[in-house]
Amino acid sequence: MCGIIGFLDKTGSRPLGQTLLTMLDALSCRGPDSAGVAVFGASSPFWIVQIMLPEQEDRAGAVKKILESARDCGPVINHQVMEAFVRLEVDGTIDPVVLEETLVRRHAGLEVVSLGHSLEIVKQVGSPAGLEKAYSIGKRQGSHAIGHTRMSTESRVDLSHSQPFWAHGVPDLATVHNGHITNYHKLRRQYEQRGYRFCNENDSEVIGVYLRDRIAAGLSLADALRSSLDDFDGSFSYLAASADSLAYVKDRFGFKPLMVAETVEFVAIATEEIALRKALGRDFVSLEPAPGTLGIWTVPSKVAV
Amino acid sequence: MEINCRDKTTREINRLLRESIACGDNDIRVLEPDGRHNLGVGLLKPVYVVFDGSVGYYCAGMMDGANVEIRGSAGWGTAESMMNGTVVIDGNAGSGVAASIRGGTVVVRGDAAARAGVSMKGGTLLIGGNCGYMAAFMMQRGTMVVCGNAGHALADSMYEGTVFVGGEIESLGNDAVLENPTAADRKTLQKLLESYNISGPKSFRKVVSGRKLWNFDRKEIDLWKVAL
Repeated sequence: MCGIIGFLDKTGSRPLGQTLLTMLDALSCRGPDSAGVAVFGASSPFWIVQIMLPEQEDRAGAVKKILESARDCGPVINHQVMEAFVRLEVDGTIDPVVLEETLVRRHAGLEVVSLGHSLEIVKQVGSPAGLEKAYSIGKRQGSHAIGHTRMSTESRVDLSHSQPFWAHGVPDLATVHNGHITNYHKLRRQYEQRGYRFCNENDSEVIGVYLRDRIAAGLSLADALRSSLDDFDGSFSYLAASADSLAYVKDRFGFKPLMVAETVEFVAIATEEIALRKALGRDFVSLEPAPGTLGIWTVPSKVAV
Repeated sequence: MEINCRDKTTREINRLLRESIACGDNDIRVLEPDGRHNLGVGLLKPVYVVFDGSVGYYCAGMMDGANVEIRGSAGWGTAESMMNGTVVIDGNAGSGVAASIRGGTVVVRGDAAARAGVSMKGGTLLIGGNCGYMAAFMMQRGTMVVCGNAGHALADSMYEGTVFVGGEIESLGNDAVLENPTAADRKTLQKLLESYNISGPKSFRKVVSGRKLWNFDRKEIDLWKVAL
């Protein structure tokens, strides 16, 4: 089934991490396999790179080699090893596409899980409680975030297949999806023929590839989201978040639920109202957007993070 | 009798409801529902239950003879498969409200989402606001009244059943046609709206089945190709 969440703090008055955690927890029965969040924190002049460490015995050795490869692309300011990830901060002048290609080419099984000036994705197999234990989601701060609880229907249960997905090649763009893109295989074939690479076999990944392609063709994010209503077949309520926006898209038949609540303080989106009520109380009305519609909000630039 | 949902599972809440009803309580308030699913399913006695807040999916489903009020909004499938009784939703209703009901009355004071009244087999669905895409899809019998506007594909593949719309219809579904309401229709509508204190428009459009899809006729194969 899957559950998706989105939260935009307009006034800096809500604890972002705690809100995300409560919403994720409320949707964990919809998605018992995996959980993840994409948080947009304070904007950094550096690239924040989340790397999934492939399974192996000599982790320290692997980290050392990854750092060497990264340094071949440019200065590495900082690095941290956290559970399944290596988090790098690298010089902002480095070409992010070159960096990703270098790392992936040289290290079998490595995946760049997110890259951006403010985007950080953490995700894993297991429950939101497990995610909290490993990555302290509840303490994270930021202006906005999206999250996902997964019930695998089409593909493997592992970290690589879990969401949120970074739209590879587009810094600071992430998606979460509830539903099934039924023309995934046709779209994937077309994209691979044109040189796009896929990291896993989850149909939801094609959303980020599609957005990357449409943006490269000159469309704004909003227009790319709008055109996806025509270009995707199947069921989808999906959210996209960039450094300065949060958006939802709902398929033309309204196959998958989505509830949206907006007040002067926040914009909150969740697959089920129960998540909104648990995290945010009762002083707002939540509405289900009509099928075949999208909504997009700009992150207020003066939110202190 | 009051039941507070806080810190209780849905199973516990429904058990408490059933136990109260078995003890002869017939006026029950359920507090802080906060979007929980499956509340008050299978109510088979003529009791009065108020949900003081918003509920999740399938609230008051599989009901026979109770009277339920939801003082908030409701999620998908509210009152689904109801045999008899009433469900009144103060706010908005999610997709598939009154799905497959066989009798009784469901009232949505706000808006209803997609597939409102899907496959109704009797009873009445009254919507004070608008309804969404494909409302009354495959409706077999019963009456649906929309005071506001109806979304695309209204009453697609409807068999019998009647839909009255006070506002605009974005588009009619396959084999749905417009007909003039009768004087009797107008009177019934007025009474219905009054009994639930809903101010509706003065006139309604009437949508019924064109009956072209009831039987297959080779001459109409083009119509079937479109429908299928």
